[in-house]
Amino acid sequence: MSEFYIPNFIVPDLLLLIFPFIVIGSRLFCSAQSKVPWRIANIGFIAIFVLLNLIPIASGEGRFFITNWRVDDFGVLMREVLMVSAILGIWFAKDYFEHGADGKPQMHQIAEFIGATAFATFGGFTVVSACDMLTFFLGLEIATIPMYALTAWNKKDQLGSEAATKYILMGSVATAFELFGFSYLYGFAGSLHFTEIENAVAAGTSPLLWVAVLFLFCGIGFKLTLFPFYTWAPDVYEGAPTPVTAILSVTSKATAIAFLVVLVFGPLAPVQEQVAPLIALLAGTTLFVGNLGALKQSRLRRFMAYSSIAQAGYIMVALLGPEAIAKTAIIYYLFVYAVSNYLAFFVFGIIGHHREETFASLRGLSKQDVSLAIALAIAMFSLAGIPPLAGFFGKFHLFFSGASTGHYVLVTFAVLNNVLALFYYIQLIKSAWVDEPDGHLTPLRLTKRQRGVIILLTVMVVILGFLPFLSNNVFSGFSL
Amino acid sequence: MINDTTLGYLILILPFLTFAINGLFLGNKNAKAAAGLAVTFNGLAFASAAILAVHYFTSTFAPQKAVLFDHTFIPFAGDLVARIGMLIDPLSVMMLVVVTFISFMVNIYSIGYMREDRAMGRFFALLSLFSFSMLGLVVATNLFQMFIFWELVGVSSYLLIGFWYHKPSAVSASKQAFILTRFADSFFLLGIVLVSYVVGSFDFSTINSLSMYPFRNETIDMGLCIMSKSNALILGSILIFTGGWGKSAMFPMHIWLPNAMEGPTPVSSIIHSATMVVAGVYLVARLFPFFAVCGNALTLIMWVGAFTMVFAAVIACTQKDIKRILAYSTLSQLGYMMFALGACKIGQAIITTGWTASTFHIFTHAFFKCSLFLIAGSLIHQVGTNDLDAMGGLRKKMKVTYACTLISILAISGIPPFSGFFSKDEIILAAFQGHHYAVFALALLTSGLTTFYMFRLFFLAFHGEPRHEGVKAGHVHEDLAMTLPIVILAIPAFLSGILGKGLFEHFFTPGKLHVPTMLKVAHAEWIPFVAIGVAVLALLIAWYLYASPKAKAQRALDSTNRSGIYKIIYNKFYFDEMYYTVVRQFIFGGVARVARAFNDYVIEGLLAFSIWFVHKLGELVRTAQAGYLPFYLGTLLVGLLLWRFFGQLPL
Repeated sequence: MSEFYIPNFIVPDLLLLIFPFIVIGSRLFCSAQSKVPWRIANIGFIAIFVLLNLIPIASGEGRFFITNWRVDDFGVLMREVLMVSAILGIWFAKDYFEHGADGKPQMHQIAEFIGATAFATFGGFTVVSACDMLTFFLGLEIATIPMYALTAWNKKDQLGSEAATKYILMGSVATAFELFGFSYLYGFAGSLHFTEIENAVAAGTSPLLWVAVLFLFCGIGFKLTLFPFYTWAPDVYEGAPTPVTAILSVTSKATAIAFLVVLVFGPLAPVQEQVAPLIALLAGTTLFVGNLGALKQSRLRRFMAYSSIAQAGYIMVALLGPEAIAKTAIIYYLFVYAVSNYLAFFVFGIIGHHREETFASLRGLSKQDVSLAIALAIAMFSLAGIPPLAGFFGKFHLFFSGASTGHYVLVTFAVLNNVLALFYYIQLIKSAWVDEPDGHLTPLRLTKRQRGVIILLTVMVVILGFLPFLSNNVFSGFSL
Repeated sequence: MINDTTLGYLILILPFLTFAINGLFLGNKNAKAAAGLAVTFNGLAFASAAILAVHYFTSTFAPQKAVLFDHTFIPFAGDLVARIGMLIDPLSVMMLVVVTFISFMVNIYSIGYMREDRAMGRFFALLSLFSFSMLGLVVATNLFQMFIFWELVGVSSYLLIGFWYHKPSAVSASKQAFILTRFADSFFLLGIVLVSYVVGSFDFSTINSLSMYPFRNETIDMGLCIMSKSNALILGSILIFTGGWGKSAMFPMHIWLPNAMEGPTPVSSIIHSATMVVAGVYLVARLFPFFAVCGNALTLIMWVGAFTMVFAAVIACTQKDIKRILAYSTLSQLGYMMFALGACKIGQAIITTGWTASTFHIFTHAFFKCSLFLIAGSLIHQVGTNDLDAMGGLRKKMKVTYACTLISILAISGIPPFSGFFSKDEIILAAFQGHHYAVFALALLTSGLTTFYMFRLFFLAFHGEPRHEGVKAGHVHEDLAMTLPIVILAIPAFLSGILGKGLFEHFFTPGKLHVPTMLKVAHAEWIPFVAIGVAVLALLIAWYLYASPKAKAQRALDSTNRSGIYKIIYNKFYFDEMYYTVVRQFIFGGVARVARAFNDYVIEGLLAFSIWFVHKLGELVRTAQAGYLPFYLGTLLVGLLLWRFFGQLPL
């Protein structure tokens, strides 16, 4: 019997792997309008999330499944972040399969959409479980390829197709960069395994290693929208269907940052100090450019693109810190970022169902629907990092991590940029609360599910901030 | 059982409950119930604070510190743990009483002031949030808790200043206040990160008991340079002070405060007296032992305070808007408090007179400034304008208000036996004892200016002929809900000095210092007489210009009116002209205009320039985003080369 024994920590991963097939397969047995795939998706995603929470966070090396699938505490928490993003993503997407929005037609084939999302999420799982470069690279690709498809989900939408084309072309070049980097890393270390690469790096460096590092960072810089590799992001975010934009800005970004965390604190750990200036430069320029770009936008999704570029810069700051602090900070921030970002997208989505997704559509929101305006204000304040909302604590941890290794210049720069960020986040709040409502705007209607999700997320953003000790799981779980 | 801990919880929870219940349940629809709840709960909070204070000061335990409760908030890595607690010592007990009392009074007053406003429920909810934030700030046991509530004060002030959000000026003022204080707060946050990193703790008790000695020889890497830990602490102390610099609206970050007048008057009243602006002074007072060991941080604090004090007083002389005069007077008084803290330093040693004086002045100032703002609100409510031009002759219509105004104005002018005299006298004495003679002279000068502009306001508003149609027609009356708190506040405005002096001298010292402390200091018996002399002289000038039977208030206000009955007595006229020439052309037109021009063009101009510059950069980023794919692909290669050369990789 013993060879059939499956260790329980692997169950969620396996479930997620077979899950898309179940959802897509269920389409064979029911009509196109059936709600069965949607229900299966909900039950499945939530069950996986609950199972993940049941995995005790173990210390040390983590546990291995067939020697190169590692589940450690960082991995488990990252899985939770990715699952939160997937659940919220499909909840958000549901409305777009019922009617069109923001001048785009209705989307079809929800089961396949959910399947693609699940595959992308599984890619993220793979990245955080990898013990060798091959799995690592595959994970990244599994996470990215469904995104290309998702971007072009709306077949009748010209802009979407254009965005997907750009995304695929740019993504392929970035993948080429990564493969190039990996091959040099292999050339340098003579092995695919992380532990052996780490030993080789610790033993001594050579230009081969630095070429690898440069190309790996540039390649992942594309996925993480770092300066100057972010250029695809505003166009793709704008062109993709809104729920895909939301999933892109959270799942894809979380996967990319997990990739960097695994890389920097795994194979490259011995040279973290030498890589630090590059990370600091990437972080500083990215958050500055992201903030500057967000200042002058009028379309909501473009605005969110720049805002998430800037957020990527902030997250990079934490990578400079010591391992335990950095991982804690990044995980916590990703949770907070996921919740705040989805809250913002839900509000924009509801507006997009009835109006164009522009700043002008927000005018006088507080007079038409106060709860929506409050949710918007809370999401924006959280993204801007105003205490006592969750966003502040998240940012504080990021900056603290950067400061613990003495990168005060960068932290100062990031904190000052935060003031700049406040400036444009307040623009949205101003539109919603101060400007007079425009008579030409169509009135807003919220379904029960939308209102429920918005209330849930708003409460989460506030509660995560007011009671940060709720997430003790995150803080004290790490005993690396 | 009611014990001190229960009282402590009550003080914090009652305002928060008011906010929650009013904000979530009662709202604008049940405005009366909301108002009733706010007044009752804030009254109970004040009662709790008062009982706590009496119990604390009558016990033998008195000047020591105690922690009523303490919960772990966020466990950071290692020993660094952020806690939420309630610190009890003379300073925080005093602040608790002041904040709850002022908040109670302002709540009563708002019943009258906001009676016709549709959003009354929201107003009472936010007002309680404001006092809750300030209460949380003053009882903070550590820097982190202080920062959380510090920001909460900022957010609630943003919501209150912009309360009338249909007024564009209110919106821009609230935005300016928020962003400017946030700008200063970002330095505060950096200071916290730096200091807590070096010290390994957020706790005030740890930070305040530091001595520089063990840090001299250790170094930390600051990214740009390697500096010794002691220098890092000095830098941290200045960064932390920058937070207080912005919150307390010290020059040049003062511009938000006069503009914050756009909020409802009760809000201005509470901002200026008990919450928000004194937070900066409180921060310095709370961390005083830390600032004392940090090199010349106190000297910086002194000069920032002293300059703001004079600068604001000069500007106050030229204003016509009643609330703006009061706003500048607050700036000037805050300058007094700030410089008194800084003036404790003599060379390498410390005398604690200034600390006592500063906290004493926070106490007395709260009452008379709150009272003055409430009075201003009452006048504005009756006359319908902020402009002194349109007032005058209100003495007969608003007798009670008139008497209370006189008390408060005598208090702020520092005329015995009113409260301001005692605290201001101590501050001036502190400057003298610290051998800071230049600042001492400035303090005396400002004392005169204060009396002058306050009595100018007083005479122009209450004396002379009515210049407003409503006043002439007799439509003016006193509103009970608004007059009651004014009368109640007049009592501490009158008596808090005499009664508080003993208390403050006995209990209020900044705690154990790790620098040499001077105990024997010169007592200059003549200072009070000089101070009173200056004040009385200024009073007489104000009376002569604005209230004497021969003075023409119109004339003082309006320079175009050159003809008139002055020609009857030519010599007199000539003398007056000369006088007006000196006063108007030199003081008003010369010094004050330069000061104002500097304010308007240089300070606000710099602000405008930085905004313009950032916007230009933003446009640049936007134009780079042309949607042209080859360009995007090019950026990949450019980025690769960029980081190859600038990434500092050892390639």
